[in-house]
Amino acid sequence: MAASARDLTKTYGRGDAQVHALRGVDLDLPRGRFTAIMGPSGSGKSTLMHCLAGLDQAGGGTVTVAGTDLGSLDDDALTIFRREHVGFVFQSFNLLPMLTAGENIVLPLELGGRRIDDAVRERAHMLADTLGVADRLGHRPAELSGGQQQRVAIARALITQPDLLFADEPTGNLDSTTSAEVLDHLRRSARELGQTVVMVTHERDAATYADCVVTMQDGRIV
Amino acid sequence: MRTVFLASLRTHIRRYVAAAVAITVGVAFVVVVGVLTSGAHSGLMDGLGAPYRNADHVVSAAGWPSSEMDPKAVIAFAERHGENAAATGRATLPARASGRRLSETTVGPIATSEKWRWQELSSGRFPARTGEAVVDVYFALAENIAVGDRVRIGEGAAARDVRVVGLVQSPSPPAQASMYVTWPQLLQWRDHLHLNAVAVHGEVGRLPEGAKAQSPEGFAAERLTYVQNRVNSLSVMLLLFAGIALFVSVLVIANTFSILLAQRLRDFALLRCIGATRRQVVRSVRREAAAVGVLASSTGALVGVGLGYGLVALINALAPTAPMGAAELPTLWLLGGFAVGLVVTMVASWLPIRRVVRVSPLAALRPDAAVGVHTATGLVRLALAALLLVVGLALLGVAMIQDSTALMLAGGGSVFAGVLLFGPVLVPRLVRITGALLGPAGRLATEHAVRDPRRTATTTASLLVGVTLATAVLTGMATWRSAVNERIGRDHPIDIALTSPEEPVTTDLLNRVRRTPGVERAVPVDGAVARMAGLDEPIAVVTAPAAQQVARDGGAFARVEPGKIRVDPEAFGKDLSLRPGDRVTVRVGDRRAQLQVAVGTGWGPAGVVAPETLATLTDAPEPHAIWIRASSGADPARLGGDLDELADPVGATIENGLRTWESLDRQLGIYTWSALGLLGIAVVIALIGIANTLGLSVLERAREHAMLRALGLTRRQLRRMLAIEAVLLSVVATLLGTLIGIGFAWVGYETFVTRALSDATMQVPWLSLAVVVLIAVMAGLLAAVLPARRAARVTPAAGLSLD
Repeated sequence: MAASARDLTKTYGRGDAQVHALRGVDLDLPRGRFTAIMGPSGSGKSTLMHCLAGLDQAGGGTVTVAGTDLGSLDDDALTIFRREHVGFVFQSFNLLPMLTAGENIVLPLELGGRRIDDAVRERAHMLADTLGVADRLGHRPAELSGGQQQRVAIARALITQPDLLFADEPTGNLDSTTSAEVLDHLRRSARELGQTVVMVTHERDAATYADCVVTMQDGRIV
Repeated sequence: MRTVFLASLRTHIRRYVAAAVAITVGVAFVVVVGVLTSGAHSGLMDGLGAPYRNADHVVSAAGWPSSEMDPKAVIAFAERHGENAAATGRATLPARASGRRLSETTVGPIATSEKWRWQELSSGRFPARTGEAVVDVYFALAENIAVGDRVRIGEGAAARDVRVVGLVQSPSPPAQASMYVTWPQLLQWRDHLHLNAVAVHGEVGRLPEGAKAQSPEGFAAERLTYVQNRVNSLSVMLLLFAGIALFVSVLVIANTFSILLAQRLRDFALLRCIGATRRQVVRSVRREAAAVGVLASSTGALVGVGLGYGLVALINALAPTAPMGAAELPTLWLLGGFAVGLVVTMVASWLPIRRVVRVSPLAALRPDAAVGVHTATGLVRLALAALLLVVGLALLGVAMIQDSTALMLAGGGSVFAGVLLFGPVLVPRLVRITGALLGPAGRLATEHAVRDPRRTATTTASLLVGVTLATAVLTGMATWRSAVNERIGRDHPIDIALTSPEEPVTTDLLNRVRRTPGVERAVPVDGAVARMAGLDEPIAVVTAPAAQQVARDGGAFARVEPGKIRVDPEAFGKDLSLRPGDRVTVRVGDRRAQLQVAVGTGWGPAGVVAPETLATLTDAPEPHAIWIRASSGADPARLGGDLDELADPVGATIENGLRTWESLDRQLGIYTWSALGLLGIAVVIALIGIANTLGLSVLERAREHAMLRALGLTRRQLRRMLAIEAVLLSVVATLLGTLIGIGFAWVGYETFVTRALSDATMQVPWLSLAVVVLIAVMAGLLAAVLPARRAARVTPAAGLSLD
């Protein structure tokens, strides 16, 4: 199992304004699979992803990723855990605008204090090559198309060889052709590289690329 | 648009806090100057006319303040009028109480008749006859004098003992003295007396030469105008600093508005989309600026009034002799300060708001237009910057050749404006260079810091102003001080000289001098008692090969050629009528020598000769003087007093050169610290600006920070990144400012220091400048504290879901 959640709850606000984003979610994510979490907006799918990825602390229940109970980690430990075990692709604001694509890809390693040597650069290049953005590495994000930006983001997420790769509406800002390319890359990284991928989306078309689909409604898996 | 205006004011008002603080500080500065000026004016008015209140006429120098009346004529004039006249003035005289030498003592007249007496009794009674005196309460407090004490005023034959019978308050600038005695007693020191006015009752009669008669009101008005002009020029100086603070405020406000408006560009575009005209959008934003300006300016005016009155009270408590009266509410200053604050806000926000006009409605529809667009540095701007730099440097060059202060100021201003305009090109480069020294840890911070060159440049510019001026002040003062020190070293080569013209100095006395705290080194000076033509009293003729051990000029004054005698004419008062080059006969016992007179100052009543010369005059030289070098930090008055107590019983006298050093040191210190303190206000505003830029950038980068946190940036790393960013900005501004400041100081030195003191060499106070840089680093860190805390508090999940 790459990750699992048990009886996960999360509440926002108090009193009348209280929102139960998660009402006891149990979920297992098998290793090497591409899972899609679907649901309408407000169903709690983003909250579930945030909790699974250690971006937010759950209100109750346990999350285990790669054998580690995330509830037992403090903020620093959680950050370092993310750095080492989790990769992210977001809908937008994915890349730092003042760094080149190549610099963006190796950023997670740099944050961990790793020296950027030739081996790292070679791996970055290989990933970029696989994703078809190898010739864009010297460009800044503003000079890349939306699809290229997302593929650079995938390369960045894969560079640390994470246990889990989370993609939050990765095709939200893309047209259908580019979406298909990005989704194909995600599927291939699961099939060919054995990468565990979790994607949150509200698009049914996008979900068809996944190996299995989990649907959420009102904070529960249905 | 009204709802939009009110809503944006509600939403964004907190982001204007820094701009508002900058305006508040600037306006408060102006108002404080106003209150202080008003306080000083009324303080000087108080009691100014008191000594002349019962007069019909006041007789004073016709050409005052450039000429004085002849004391003899004034005394004769006053005597002629008898009870119908009272003179005001003072004599500066040495005075001692219970063996202690008092500091600078002035003695003035006090009338015995009620009509002319203007001093107010605090305790005891008024003097009725010769031999009695009253002391000003503040002088009594400072010198620890009480009713009943005996004070000896004057020296030698003119010394008189008086008994203190009362303490008085005497706040009238033209007539104030530290002690008052009756008129007949005061005439015993008539040679030292300066009389500035005579109050006359009835007919004036024939005036003394060079005098004029005025009504008491006319006299008071004349003096007041003079003093007020001096107060006013001080106020203008203070306003200059207020102007600097306001200029820095303009930069901070302009920056705040550009950042805030850039962040809201999409909102404006959306408004335009749904039908708001350009004019409506601009008017709404302008109203926001006006609201901020009005709020901050009124706060500033209030704070200024409070601070001003607080300062007046503080000055009155700490320095009771300083003339600070109850300040009137300076309405004009208040209104002026308020108006300046409002105008500054509107002017500073003008350009940023004009940029909003250019936003096209389409911008709202474009997805995620990257925030913090790089503004291209226009060619016009660069050309203008180059022009200003070239013209400014040329002007500075001419200024140095022609010693023209006006050209120097124009050139300096032009160069500085050029540097500010070059900022967007120059500053990011400097930040990159500095950031590169930090290695990979600082790379992200550097990238953030140079992201928007214009923002970076404006942020650093505000600090640059303060640091440049502070550096110029520090360097200028250090240069001035070293030049003046050298000069004083020549004028006062010996810190304290103890001279005993009649009896030789005993070994016991030498040892006691050496044991006195504050004495670093004391050397005995051998010589003989001599008689010199043209001098009634005996003089010690000495030779001092060991002078360089204690002298501040390396003993140059004591190296006298054979056949010459060097004397300090000031040490003999009016008795000595010798001029340099005169030949004079010096006699010791029955031996005599013809010597040529040379002069110098600073070692007391002794003639310095070559060892050979002394050998022709005596076979058995004995020590007749002790020359003393004080240890650094010794209190001159105290050391002088202690040594005086040793010298007085054996008939020796003390020459205290150290006091001059100290008063000069204190004066320069006051100038330097006042200038730095006043510039400090500008620097504080600049730091608020840095914190503000950083704080607003943090808001606009919230999603980026969240993403970095998601990718594995720890909170500590995030805080450090922001701290490095702030430190980079402040360090670059400080280094650049230090460089320009030293340059300006050099130009200033070439322009007017070399003119005043030809032998001055430029001194760069590296230590002080290093302290300035260090303070800048600390301040940069401080500026990052709040923004960094706020940024680190946001959880990655919350940051990512922001819009």
